[in-house]
Amino acid sequence: MKPAEKNSDHPAWLAQARDLLDESAQALDAATLSRLNRARQAALEQRHRRLPRPWFLSAGLASACVLLLAMAVWHVRTPGPVATGPALSSAPAAASSSFSSNDMDMVSSDDSLELYQDLEFYAWLEAQDQDSDG
Amino acid sequence: MSGRVNVVTTDERTLDQFLKHVERRALRMAEMATGQRDEALDLVQEAMFGFVRHYASKPATEWMPLFYRVLDSRLNDWHRRRTVRGRWMAVWTHNADDDEADEIAQAPDTNDPGPLLRLAGNEAGQALETALTRLPPRQRQAFLLRVWEGLDVAATAQAMQCSQGSVKTHLSRALASLRGQLEEFA
Repeated sequence: MKPAEKNSDHPAWLAQARDLLDESAQALDAATLSRLNRARQAALEQRHRRLPRPWFLSAGLASACVLLLAMAVWHVRTPGPVATGPALSSAPAAASSSFSSNDMDMVSSDDSLELYQDLEFYAWLEAQDQDSDG
Repeated sequence: MSGRVNVVTTDERTLDQFLKHVERRALRMAEMATGQRDEALDLVQEAMFGFVRHYASKPATEWMPLFYRVLDSRLNDWHRRRTVRGRWMAVWTHNADDDEADEIAQAPDTNDPGPLLRLAGNEAGQALETALTRLPPRQRQAFLLRVWEGLDVAATAQAMQCSQGSVKTHLSRALASLRGQLEEFA
């Protein structure tokens, strides 16, 4: 790039000034040039260390999303512990399916827990009634 | 994937070549501003780090004014710190009898143009170096960026973070001052 003062009133001494400054820059000693070289390499290494960061960020974010999605799917598909209780296995299929569909209602309900603790008795009572009707 | 690696390598090589191209001039500018080689080296290193951190992703055609913008900021910070330190020193030594001696000790050594010019025995070089160190910082930076580095007015204004009119004013005053000083040496 050529200097910009070509058309000034002092092109000769400005050209000489440029030459003198260039000479001083070219004549730097070896120790100074070595320090400049180390500074340049350190600056470039800094950039090299910074480059992978976005890739790792993206990978971490993607892994977190996949894990979150998997947990959500597993939570929706897994029945609650009350519906799979062994005591209900002898109850009629209709009653069992009814309990399964009402898992969340039972968990979130404010009704007395005693009712749910006696479910086994109510299931037996209903079975007795059906036997006597039959 | 290999193409991506090649692109990164090419970018780094271009960046390395750019920094290699500007580092000597940057060091001389910083040395003229501070009067000290070690301080100048530290400032150039900080400028390289700042430039790579903030502007390396910019197009290479924009690098020159951006690099000097970072260097100019570092030089301004250095002058501010030096001014504050000078004020504290002035307060601390206010009652001392050797105030004048302290000011002389803190002033840049304008009689020492640097080992290179001294070895060359070039009176013109010494005179120019001395005249440049006597200029106010903004005038000196405008002269070096416009005349030595060859930046145009707009790029110089971008590097110095001022208006183009200010660049023209600084340069005009710098040229007048330098001419006057160099004529005295002649």
